[in-house]
Amino acid sequence: MKNRIRELRTDLGITQDELADRAQVRRETIVFLEQGKYNPSLKLAHDVALALGGTIDEIFIFEKGD
Amino acid sequence: MVIAVSIIFSQAIYFKNYFIPIAVLAVSSPVLLYFRRSVKEIVADERDFVIGGKAALIAIRIYSFLAVTAMFVFYALRDFNPAYEPIGLTLAYSTCILMLLYAVIFRYYNRISFSGKRLKYSIFALALFLIVFVAGARLFSGEDDWVCENGKWIEHGHPDFAAPQVECK
Repeated sequence: MKNRIRELRTDLGITQDELADRAQVRRETIVFLEQGKYNPSLKLAHDVALALGGTIDEIFIFEKGD
Repeated sequence: MVIAVSIIFSQAIYFKNYFIPIAVLAVSSPVLLYFRRSVKEIVADERDFVIGGKAALIAIRIYSFLAVTAMFVFYALRDFNPAYEPIGLTLAYSTCILMLLYAVIFRYYNRISFSGKRLKYSIFALALFLIVFVAGARLFSGEDDWVCENGKWIEHGHPDFAAPQVECK
């Protein structure tokens, strides 16, 4: 599963730390999400989307086989 | 601190001094409680829980493998030293209990917690552990064993194995 977290975060001009604060997770989780090394739960996807001011389907791109 | 307390406990029990563990427990409990209260926030999210689950599963697998291997070794050497047999049995038994606990808890959270069968399942699990506990108590009671008395191996109960080959001192 790909995502646009880094792109949207950069557009907003916030750091990984700030995004982690907004989504109430650890910075490492944001790092792993941005690198595509971790598939978030529905709740975390929702929280990150909310923190970036978007929706889940705008940020997370599901592909066949995901 | 926990490591230090554990070391003091094990050494005191080894030297059959039971005052030190009680004193250490009395002193360390409020100290540990103070440390716990001074923790204002635990930074953890769902990734930590996923990692925690994986780590626990791997730890159970490694422990089970090592314990069962050691159990076979101790059990095979029981004729050389009778003390090896309870060690082997303890390892085997603790592994069984660990795996049984894992299976019971996994099934509970995987299926039962969503259903209306929680009470029935809890009673079943409790009964299962009572049976295991009673069976374990019977197994470790030493009812059927060879006991060393006055330089001779004396039959205690009806052991289904021959007397140990080692000298009885």
